[in-house]
Amino acid sequence: MTEQPTRKPPLEREALRDVIDLSLWAGQLLLQHGAESARIEETVHHLGTGLGADWMDILVSPNAIAATTISGGEFRTKIRRVVAIGVNMQIIAEVNDLSRKVSAGALDRFQVRAEMERIDKLPRQYNRWVIVGMVGLACAAFSRMLGGDWPVFFVTLAAASVAMWVRQELTRRYFNSLLVVVGTAFVAGVVASSASIMKWGAQPQTALAASVLLLVPGVALINCADDLIQGHLVVGIIRGITGGMVCLGIALGLLLAIRLMGVSGL
Amino acid sequence: MNAVDLIGFLIQDAFWSALAATGFAILFNVPKRTLVGCALGGAIGHAARTLLMQTGVEIELATLFGATVIGLVGVLFAQRWRVPMTIFTVSAAVTLVPGGFAYRAMMGIIELSTADPTASSTILVATIINGIKTGLSLGAIAAGIAAPRLLFFRERPVV
Repeated sequence: MTEQPTRKPPLEREALRDVIDLSLWAGQLLLQHGAESARIEETVHHLGTGLGADWMDILVSPNAIAATTISGGEFRTKIRRVVAIGVNMQIIAEVNDLSRKVSAGALDRFQVRAEMERIDKLPRQYNRWVIVGMVGLACAAFSRMLGGDWPVFFVTLAAASVAMWVRQELTRRYFNSLLVVVGTAFVAGVVASSASIMKWGAQPQTALAASVLLLVPGVALINCADDLIQGHLVVGIIRGITGGMVCLGIALGLLLAIRLMGVSGL
Repeated sequence: MNAVDLIGFLIQDAFWSALAATGFAILFNVPKRTLVGCALGGAIGHAARTLLMQTGVEIELATLFGATVIGLVGVLFAQRWRVPMTIFTVSAAVTLVPGGFAYRAMMGIIELSTADPTASSTILVATIINGIKTGLSLGAIAAGIAAPRLLFFRERPVV
């Protein structure tokens, strides 16, 4: 147990309830949008103690978080179910900012609630067509880095942009997230096969390899490593499995496309 | 490759990696003010790896170096912009993903299932090599990104 250097005044029932509700809400947003376990634990702890609790214990699991607030002789525990939505770094940055302000004592619990409501409703910063174009360009840039020439660049640009649009449409219609991966990889593969069929460029297969890179589970795999290194083994292993399944989904979609189009993969 | 060619090659490489990192940063919805940092991180990290590979270092070790550079840049940018370091490291690290090897390993496995048994040993060996290179490079990305924070920027645990 850690001794508190200066005893804080015990929180009233209502205040204690708000503290655990708000800090758990922040933790939920972080877990939903792709933060690593250590950050979730620290942020929830900072928020809870910053709002007046003596101590805060947090349990992060792959699809739920639990927290206990302690104040005076009282304690409260709450569990919140969390479903991963997708990566959104802006929300992680905003919650991080909020926890820093609360730690410095700049906000009370009513202001924190107003802030949380704002963060929860933040719209995406980039227009969906900007995302389609930029992700297409990113994959096309990859094809250059993998040694592709200009014809391959433009085929990859087209394939990845169309695939990104398909991914948005499938996600919007509540398809299972792995099915979205397979479908997106399939579409990317079908469009990118045109390079092989029309014999554009010296290495047309590069378009196939580059156009599915938009699906690479980068955040899942990096968080997996982070969690494993920092001792959050259960969450880390689950993130690794999630990332691995996405990779299998990419392979399946690409395989279907290649067989359908009758092109050689290598 | 002489020095002038090498610099030209590195500048091109940095340009494409910056573009790739920016695309992924937008996909991850990073705050707009940090986009420049993501692009820079990708450019510096990937160019560092390319430089090492040009001098004959194998991809796994070069990736470890590139990822360490990204980890270092990530810590500095996180302090500069006051945002979580993940924003920069994730966008930049995507540029190091061994997409070519992963693709060839996958295609090798598929090819093995239909290959003529007498000819399949070459495919098998190539596939295993590509698979190992993919796995080791991915491990190197993770280890490299974490390294600067674990070695030099340690903090007292809060929980």
